[in-house]
Amino acid sequence: MSLVAVANKDFQDTVRSRGMVILVALFSLLVSLFAYLVRPQGDAQQFATELLLSQLVGPVLVTGLIPLVGIVVGYNAVSGERDSGSLKLLLSLPHSRADVVFGKVIGRGAALALAVLAGFLLPALVLIVVPVTFNAGSFLGYTVFAAVLGVVFVAIAVGCSAAMATQQRALIAGIAVYAVFVLLWGLLTGQVVDALDGVIAALPLSIEQVRTFLDVANPTTGIEELANGFLGGQLFTGERVNQQISAAAMLVFWTLAPPLLGLLKFDRDDL
Amino acid sequence: MTAIELRGVTKEFPGVTAVEDLDITVKEGEVYGFLGPNGAGKSTTINMLLDLVRPTEGTVTVLGRDAGEESVAIRQRTGVLPDGFSVYDRLSGRKHVEFAIESKGADADPETLLDRVGILDDADRKAGDYSKGMRQRLVLAMALVGEPDLLVLDEPSSGLDPAGAKDMREIVRAEADRGATVFFSSHVLGQVEAVCDRVGIMRQGELVAEDSIDGLREAVGGGETLEIDVDAATDEGIDAVRALDGVTDVARAGGSAGADAAGADTLVVSCVGGVKTAVIGALEDAGVTVRDFHTREASLEDLFLAYTEGDAPTRRESDETSETAGGSPESADESPESADESPESTDEVDA
Repeated sequence: MSLVAVANKDFQDTVRSRGMVILVALFSLLVSLFAYLVRPQGDAQQFATELLLSQLVGPVLVTGLIPLVGIVVGYNAVSGERDSGSLKLLLSLPHSRADVVFGKVIGRGAALALAVLAGFLLPALVLIVVPVTFNAGSFLGYTVFAAVLGVVFVAIAVGCSAAMATQQRALIAGIAVYAVFVLLWGLLTGQVVDALDGVIAALPLSIEQVRTFLDVANPTTGIEELANGFLGGQLFTGERVNQQISAAAMLVFWTLAPPLLGLLKFDRDDL
Repeated sequence: MTAIELRGVTKEFPGVTAVEDLDITVKEGEVYGFLGPNGAGKSTTINMLLDLVRPTEGTVTVLGRDAGEESVAIRQRTGVLPDGFSVYDRLSGRKHVEFAIESKGADADPETLLDRVGILDDADRKAGDYSKGMRQRLVLAMALVGEPDLLVLDEPSSGLDPAGAKDMREIVRAEADRGATVFFSSHVLGQVEAVCDRVGIMRQGELVAEDSIDGLREAVGGGETLEIDVDAATDEGIDAVRALDGVTDVARAGGSAGADAAGADTLVVSCVGGVKTAVIGALEDAGVTVRDFHTREASLEDLFLAYTEGDAPTRRESDETSETAGGSPESADESPESADESPESTDEVDA
């Protein structure tokens, strides 16, 4: 199976890169640092797992750093091989260009997920053995959400990489992706809503519904929505179920649409 | 069945026509040498066979299938050594071959393949640490996976030392004996001459010649050139030689007057094979003392240059046979060269 062969090759290639070791170390270090900051004070035997995740790991690591890491892992997936000439090796073998693009999403997504899991869980092992009550289930579940967010950004970055003819343009696209999703999303969607005021008025939706949808349509907000639902024991139940469904659907969209669009361009190119 | 068929293929890139109205047919089981200087359109043609580049016009058929529509099926039965590739630096040689085996769903042993190309001892080293020649061998091993029906080798000997180039030729021949069709490009003639059934010569995007090596040689004339060192090239001597049957041209090598303290001249005689004794005889009868002479057969190199530069065959130092004429030559090895008889090949920039 061609897709699996490409994914497997890319996974092996990516996990051997020095960057992976640095990532795991960085995640471990940050999670350890945050855990130290929220360590039980005095006689308290309860380790504040939820506080750790929602106040420190969430805003700093997950919504800020993981998108960046996903883009770094993905942006050179196709364009890098195109620049160096190893793409010729890949396309000399019986792989379609679709196999190449989606194989890379899978291979690099899996490598990044592995780095997130390893980086988060190594420090957690310490918390499990120390004599405090540490909510391991919440922590593990949250780590999975973090890994999913990483995969979504790998997919977006691989899509850009496939569409761009050179490594340099792919890098610029990657920076733009980070700026749009992490830094400017609220500003941009606010502008869009204002500009389309008339159009939205004609729809059977309130402005507020549109704003809420655009909010969770951002993968970082979407993941936060889902992760908080999970930590609160209200995943896909309770009053925010609509937002959660929208968020999950948009995560699937962001995983599939950018690679597909990138493939459309890549498939037509002379290499 | 034909292995490769191009009909009226043109490929235009922005501002340049890389290949123009190209027709090539390669029969199954044939070893086809694809020649031409850099920038002649060889790699573009090969990239069209593999669907890396799509033709602007015309049809490309490989192993009976359309190169654009059924590329994956074609590559399933084709082994490729591309030009200007790079390996995956972090993966070992073994991993590379395993990846090719997995990709083709072939039942092959990586070690057998690595041994065949001579890098088994380095199988577990990272390919990023390989030399250029070893990378070339590694990718050849990947190309051989699954006994392909067609081998497409783009400049296979680049980066190889002479021993490596010889191994490459032996593998090409063995694959051809197995029944595989081999299509390989080169700008170095020695590699093609030894193994090819047929060659095609590209020049500026067009196929300017296509024949067997012998056929091409015949087409260009296939005569000999004698280079004769004499004490003084008198007009009588030159006229006497010119009068002989089989002699097509006689010239003084330009610029030789005064170049030699002993007053020696060099005559360049173009003729059919087997008249050199008559030429020497005629010169001596005319009172000219022959000191030394060299014979040159028209080499494939001459042929190549004749086609790619569009001149009459020019002479090169290759394929030279040096003979010593009667008498006592003082400088058998010395062959005075003048500037205008060593043609420089004009390098074209790769498109």
